Amino acid sequence: MSQGWFMRKFGFIACLFGLMLGGCRQVETKRPLLFWCSNNAGEITFAREFTEQWQRNHPDKPLRYQPIPEGQSSEEIILASVVGKTTPDIYANMWQGSVEMYAKAGVLVPLDTISGFMEFLRVRCDSSVIQEITSSDGHIYQVPWKVNPIMTLCNTGQVNGPNLKGPPYTYSSYLNAGKQLTKDANHDGYMDRWLGYTEVKVIWYQRFFNFYPLYLAASNGAPLVTNNRGHPSRAAFNNRYAVDVFRFLQQLYRDGYYPKERLTSARDPFLNQRIATSFTGPWQVGFLERYKDTTLHYDTWPMPVPDSHTGPAYTYGDPKNIVIFNTCPDPRAAWAFIKTLIDKPGDLRLMELTGQFPHRRNVDTDPYFSSFLQKNPKLLPFARQSRYIKGVDNCEVIVEVFDIISQEYEACVVYDRKTPESAIRDAARAVDVLLMSEKMNE
Amino acid sequence: MKKLIPYWLVSPYILYFCVFVAFPVMFSVVLTFHSWNIISPMKFVGVENYVRLFNDRLFWQAIYNTLRFLVIHIPLQIVVALTLAEFLNQKIRGQAFFRGAFFLPVIVSGVVVTILWQQLLGFNAGILNRALSVLSFPKVAWLEEPAIAMYAIALMATWKNVGLYVILFLVGLQTVPVQYYEAADMEGATHWQKFRYITLPMINPTIFMVVVLSTIGGFSLFIEPYIMTEGGPLNSTLSAVMYIYKQAFQYYHMGYSATLGFCFALLILGVVAIQKRYVEQEM
Repeated sequence: MSQGWFMRKFGFIACLFGLMLGGCRQVETKRPLLFWCSNNAGEITFAREFTEQWQRNHPDKPLRYQPIPEGQSSEEIILASVVGKTTPDIYANMWQGSVEMYAKAGVLVPLDTISGFMEFLRVRCDSSVIQEITSSDGHIYQVPWKVNPIMTLCNTGQVNGPNLKGPPYTYSSYLNAGKQLTKDANHDGYMDRWLGYTEVKVIWYQRFFNFYPLYLAASNGAPLVTNNRGHPSRAAFNNRYAVDVFRFLQQLYRDGYYPKERLTSARDPFLNQRIATSFTGPWQVGFLERYKDTTLHYDTWPMPVPDSHTGPAYTYGDPKNIVIFNTCPDPRAAWAFIKTLIDKPGDLRLMELTGQFPHRRNVDTDPYFSSFLQKNPKLLPFARQSRYIKGVDNCEVIVEVFDIISQEYEACVVYDRKTPESAIRDAARAVDVLLMSEKMNE
Repeated sequence: MKKLIPYWLVSPYILYFCVFVAFPVMFSVVLTFHSWNIISPMKFVGVENYVRLFNDRLFWQAIYNTLRFLVIHIPLQIVVALTLAEFLNQKIRGQAFFRGAFFLPVIVSGVVVTILWQQLLGFNAGILNRALSVLSFPKVAWLEEPAIAMYAIALMATWKNVGLYVILFLVGLQTVPVQYYEAADMEGATHWQKFRYITLPMINPTIFMVVVLSTIGGFSLFIEPYIMTEGGPLNSTLSAVMYIYKQAFQYYHMGYSATLGFCFALLILGVVAIQKRYVEQEM
């Protein structure tokens, strides 16, 4: 075996490797549009049906769907695809709080520049929703698609018991329910039946199931961050509503009505009737209907509000929206396809297949959806609540804002180390510093 | 031409080293002077990241937590491993079984072990607390009490890694010449005296090796608090690596995360250098 032979072989393998790497680059010829959907069974069926329908009606505009690749979270996958420039053309299930970051990075198509988009949006959504999704640069980069309002699920067998007024709740009546319902059922000296449970973990998104919907309910949907164009953003939550919410939650933990330990590793505590109430979304209905035993009876009410509260109780709507990435070769065709997903038949099919609600006005009273809601009465309260929902503020660092609140939440609510006033004040101060430094980095 | 062949043979490793070690290290140093969220262009910010680091209360708490973990974990690791090694060095029945049993946690996935311990340490449903209840002791909030959570994590980490150090100590113990013990026996030395004046000095190099390995392992504390406590309660188990990870992959502050990583690497380098110097003096 000569040295020349070795060198030739090595060179050949190196060239082959280089060609293979070069071949990985996608050829941007006329290719089908790619639509990424969520990877749960209901939404995959939804995506398949609508893609097939589109293919039948528009054979000249090929489009294929693909569930978002597996990963720890869809947010991570989307970020990786943006970095790797392998984004889909259309992505459904984008968390509203992420959109501003991508919009500022210039990777999304400003949808308001597509003719007919704004007209369609105005018919579908209220002006408050349109305002909420408008980016700081004045453009709109997301189509409001679906919501899952967070509400109070109650075990009616327990909350309608003696000495209890039952829901709907004010802070006082909810705390009174805690007094009546929390107990040591097996008499071992430790509580094992509680009023409710919410995650004590500091992870920012856990605040969507306790502090944030309660804050929205108390404040009639007030923002966490002011976002006046041309002025630096500021924390907007240093107010009596946020303080009251912290005090209310602190009381729940202080009096032992909520356990501090993690109950998530065992069987679902609501299903198990170890907790009487739960702050959750409509996805829980399907789960409970499938696994509950005959002794569990439940219903749904708005989030607890301060005793002096008047007006409707807003809540967090957990909005997930649709975006078009700027790698899309034909945004008009992409928008035409999206319209088929979010017109009335599309929205009804979404409800039927997934039990989630379209982010459109009057879902609860529109006759088009009434037969579905009659067949699924447990979902009706969520449909009614969808009139009074909020997403998150359009702020590039909203995740950090929630993380800062989470830190103070833990110190004040769970561990009682701070007063609600000082916890909220410290959180607001930290958010102001964060927003100021972000502004300077721009 | 013949002289080139060795270079061709090592070139894959050189390539690997350049792509996966040298370039990332240099790039991360460059990153420390930039603000970058991965998807937007990098922006030069000078030493702003370093200034922020010195004012970042949470980073210093994470460093303190990591050092606290080391202070609890390393002595515990050494005492438990040495005790077990002494036990396994005797002629006992089932010696092979015990050696295997103690080593088993080392080869089990860290995530699996952590989840298992999470179940063990639960307040109401945890096996440990149930055992305490049966013995009429009060339950302990292992993972929910800020003053205790780090001890629980150190206990778990010790259980997970002790098998490896038992093996190292066993090797060390078996290198001690038997004649020394025989001479001590003739002098009427007690077990403790033999351990104190013969065993410990003779296995000193092994102890130092275990200290260095435990230190490096301890500095990279991540899986245990990440899964068991998410850094809580009240950030009492937030480790430095976890905080660096959080800044990078939760907030996408790549420049700041690189700065934290760079300074943390310098700290580890300093600690290892001190240990090395101490070892050289002892030897």
